[in-house]
Amino acid sequence: MSIKKTIFFILSVAVSLVAADYRWGDSAHSIGLIRAKGGEARHPATLQSGDTGYTLIATATVLPPYKGNARVVLEGEPKLDYKIHLSAPVVDLKLHRKPELRNDILYDLQPRDRIALWVLMKPPVLDPVCGMAYNDKFSKHTHDGKDYFFCSEHCLETFRQAPEKYQVTGVRGKYTLAFYDTNTGKAVLSVPVIFKAKGDMHDAGRHQH
Amino acid sequence: MRADTNTNKGFFVKYRYWIIIGGILLLMPPLSLLFQFSQDSNFCGTWCPRMFFSWRKGMTGGEFIIGFARSYLGVALVFGVLISTFFLGRYWCSHMCPIGGSMEVGSKIVPDFLKINFSGVPSSPVRYGYLSVYLIAPAIGIGSLCCNYCNFATVPRIFGAAFSPADLSYFFRTAGLINLGLVVVLGFLAKGGRAYCNFLCPIGALDAVSNRLGLRFGKRVTVNDAKCNACGVCAKACPTWAIEIREKARIDQLSCMPCRECEKVCTKEAIRYGRFKK
Repeated sequence: MSIKKTIFFILSVAVSLVAADYRWGDSAHSIGLIRAKGGEARHPATLQSGDTGYTLIATATVLPPYKGNARVVLEGEPKLDYKIHLSAPVVDLKLHRKPELRNDILYDLQPRDRIALWVLMKPPVLDPVCGMAYNDKFSKHTHDGKDYFFCSEHCLETFRQAPEKYQVTGVRGKYTLAFYDTNTGKAVLSVPVIFKAKGDMHDAGRHQH
Repeated sequence: MRADTNTNKGFFVKYRYWIIIGGILLLMPPLSLLFQFSQDSNFCGTWCPRMFFSWRKGMTGGEFIIGFARSYLGVALVFGVLISTFFLGRYWCSHMCPIGGSMEVGSKIVPDFLKINFSGVPSSPVRYGYLSVYLIAPAIGIGSLCCNYCNFATVPRIFGAAFSPADLSYFFRTAGLINLGLVVVLGFLAKGGRAYCNFLCPIGALDAVSNRLGLRFGKRVTVNDAKCNACGVCAKACPTWAIEIREKARIDQLSCMPCRECEKVCTKEAIRYGRFKK
């Protein structure tokens, strides 16, 4: 092997290792089992707090004997805006029966069906002092070229006294993408969606697939 | 230059682009015909041709086998490709692959002055460096390249994005944009359109090994030294920069796929698919 080839091999290994190790905090993939008695995701989907939008790819397989319709809801406080899309052929030749998604309800789930949902999430803007989610009573304040939003004069005043103490962190903690059977109301799958601070992200997504 | 070339070429030489375009129309969105025979709409899931040979740390042998069962159509596809390559050369890559084909056809549309020539980068070391990490990183728990960097996930969604919000969602995240960037820079903007295939395709890397191993048994693109005058036209035409000109043209069978673009441009008829009689 020539020196040039050796250098490119080492470079390729180094860059690939960095690429394999690095994880983008605005997306995650969860793999779950939909089960009549309550199914679980193989691992929680971990996302980095502070981004303006997130994508969760939630794939799931239906375990026999479950069949039915399931409402999909993203639960947690403060509430996130979200949209759910089901991956399906654009031109469906109807060679197979498939579950369908309408108004966030998965219709006609049958044993061994495999679904792939794309969940687009948008977190609310938070008051950096008290953590309250934005509503139309909030007031805007600009500091160091950045916009901040406050629920009250009190929070704004607290911020003004020591702005370096308060950074916009985004939502934190546990949310759940829950699948409820529309007949029984029971959860047939719960996917934990966890928002972590940047420093806590290192172990996230290790077992993504 | 074309006027001097031998125009009496076979079907797979003359109509390669049409075969690729036909494959794209059939296999990519909106029709996605191949996948609809199973319950899928793309190369993910049952058809995933990459994840099954990636061993993750902590995985049991049983789980590894389940991965084969889950993606059984992808497994069948890859083994089909490897076996056919052993005997016939890499026709999957050059004529069938709708992913590599899309990037190559796309690159034909891009004006030449925008194109990036990657031929200064030796492809095999990059490819096998990437493949080593692809196989080893998940096995020792560093992380995974599989799925996070996948043109089999990206290219179909470029086609699907105009029609399906699920496909469009793929690009609403950093990882999707990075993948799009790789496909654009190493595919659509690359001279020849095959730099992604040449550097970062794990199936291509395995397929290249099959191509090399089957050299004695199967048909390959070969050079007739007696006819070759080392003019270098073939090397310029090669999308995978597999031809090196020394005293004669030399084909690297770890990078060659039988697209036969070299055969098309050779004025001396010194290159053909198959063997020359000695």
